[in-house]
Amino acid sequence: MKTTFSALFLAAGIIAIPGPSGAASLMDWGRHVAKAGNGKPGGTACMECHRLDGGGMPSIGAPRISGQPRQYIAREIREVKEGKRYGPVMAGVVQNLSPRDIRAVALYYSRAKSPKLPDVGPSDPALVAEGKHIATRGFWKKNIPACVQCHGPNGYGVPPLFPYIAGQNRTYLLRQLMAYAFLKRQDDPEGLMRGIARRLTMAQRKAVAEYFSSLKPPVRDVP
Amino acid sequence: MVVRRFSRGVLLAVVAVLVLSPVGARGGPLEVMQGSEIFTPPSDSEIPKGPFGDLVRKGERIFTQTGRFARHYVGNDLTCESCHLDRGRKPYAAPLWGAYVLYPRFRSKNHMVNKLDERIQGCFRFSMNGTPPPVTSETMKALIAYSFWMSRGAPVGVKLKGQGMLSLPKPASSPSVLRGKKVYVARCALCHGMHGQGRTSHGGQVFPPVWGKRSYNKGAGLFKVSKLAGFVKMNMPLSKGDTLTDQESWDVAAYVDSQPRPAKPRKRSRS
Ligand code: HEC
Ligand code: HEC
Ligand code: HEC
Ligand code: HEC
Repeated sequence: MKTTFSALFLAAGIIAIPGPSGAASLMDWGRHVAKAGNGKPGGTACMECHRLDGGGMPSIGAPRISGQPRQYIAREIREVKEGKRYGPVMAGVVQNLSPRDIRAVALYYSRAKSPKLPDVGPSDPALVAEGKHIATRGFWKKNIPACVQCHGPNGYGVPPLFPYIAGQNRTYLLRQLMAYAFLKRQDDPEGLMRGIARRLTMAQRKAVAEYFSSLKPPVRDVP
Repeated sequence: MVVRRFSRGVLLAVVAVLVLSPVGARGGPLEVMQGSEIFTPPSDSEIPKGPFGDLVRKGERIFTQTGRFARHYVGNDLTCESCHLDRGRKPYAAPLWGAYVLYPRFRSKNHMVNKLDERIQGCFRFSMNGTPPPVTSETMKALIAYSFWMSRGAPVGVKLKGQGMLSLPKPASSPSVLRGKKVYVARCALCHGMHGQGRTSHGGQVFPPVWGKRSYNKGAGLFKVSKLAGFVKMNMPLSKGDTLTDQESWDVAAYVDSQPRPAKPRKRSRS
């Protein structure tokens, strides 16, 4: 085992590109997959949609993923692969990722840094204000706690399984709320997000998406 | 069991929610819990301008960020809101609007106020594992004003629905710590952690600790398994109240209260 590892390490060292197995550090391999795909047929580079720094693409609703908890990123990819998480676009690009590829990209993107990328079109201040109210106070009449009670102050996330939502793009946020409420994103722990998304009205979903997309994303605080 | 208490209209709404949802809904009837029968405290926008309104707002700040605004009196990582959900408004989480009118025989204002003071002091000593603020302190005055405000319009002298915690009927089989642990791992650890330690984000407490040094002590109301079972049944997992069975609520309460936590502070005479 050990000898195989060091042999590979040597080989990788000589040809100086990160190899697919034990050779290169997980981090280097993650970056490689993000940039160029894993080299297998059908492999797509993550950066085509999420950018190399993980800032995402607001114009097509591809989420920012830089700085999300490592465990969360890995979980979402696995769930898409197994058909448990609704991800119509992702489903087409993750099928040939190996468990190690997934660990590698999760590590890489959890450490990547990107500023908030502008959303398409200006935000509506009235919606932002309504969204802020729900985000910080909840809508308990329908048994909806404040979003920040689970997503952390300012929506910065609570690792490992509560993603940050602050600074995420508006299109993606709204799509996810719809997916939890009506479509097949059904793998959320304990059905927490499904319950909440379903109880929000359409106007409220828009408002919270508008609010969280108007915030700055967190600067990562966990190793 | 909760369903029975709803009016027919609300029941229909519940059925509609369950039937219309495309996904098997796990949320129970609590999804529409604050039905018309439950007292609704006045909204924030009605808080008057001036010194009284200021005191009410101050009370709310202390209530929701106790460690920050009443630091000297707090000995753990909880806030008043950790147990009195929705800023002290949520039915079956001992809402403040229910508290204020719980003592109807104390008609004269002073007398009534004194009684509530003592109750609040109790929560500081036991639930917050801290030191009770004196009756004359700004902290106490603000909390009383906040409770008083919230009960505005609540009928006095009748038992209000949603007051206090739910008292759960005795379970079929006596509460089991072992079964409770399974429930805890499956339904609670996601937020409160495997070791009951809670979770933080960017340095702030998000999910409060449910046992250990930074949680409530052995003198607290929730240290009674029956009280905790009623609290859990209606309020936990957060936003999923009324999804555990009665038995599961008793079991998980027995487990949580079997874990280590600070001792009950020794009796002290109060002036
Ligand atoms: C063709 C565009 C595209 C490519 C390539 C792509 N993604 Fe995605 N990704 C998306 C979209 C769009 C979503 C939102 C879900 C959906 O609609 O499928 C998403 C969702 C995700 C999520 C979930 C984010 C969250 O907050 O829940 C993660 C994690 C992710 N992608 C990681 C990756 C990684 C890692 C790669 C490379 C191996 C990759 N994606 C390649 C478009 C893409
Ligand atoms: C009771 C806890 C809880 C509350 C309250 C809550 N969420 Fe969530 N939320 C979660 C969990 C857990 C997840 C991760 C689910 C998953 O893995 O699919 C999540 C995921 C999300 C996502 C998907 C993020 C992504 O990157 O794909 C969005 C968007 C979201 N929540 C928005 C909200 C909004 C808006 C509110 C307030 C109206 C809210 N949440 C309140 C628990 C909660
Ligand atoms: C660890 C949980 C917990 C915390 C934290 C807590 N309380 Fe309580 N509180 C309780 C319980 C349990 C009761 C008793 C409810 C019952 O008997 O039905 C109670 C009762 C009360 C009552 C009387 C209401 C009633 O219905 O009996 C008031 C007022 C009150 N608390 C105020 C506060 C204040 C102010 C704080 C913060 C300084 C606080 N509590 C913190 C658990 C808590
Ligand atoms: C989705 C996250 C989540 C889950 C799951 C959850 N809780 Fe909680 N719990 C909370 C939050 C948040 C609070 C504090 C409420 C507040 O501050 O508004 C809380 C408060 C409490 C409290 C009172 C405060 C304390 O720390 O002592 C107890 C006891 C408790 N929960 C027990 C449980 C039990 C038992 C379960 C499992 C049946 C459970 N919780 C599941 C989020 C959760």
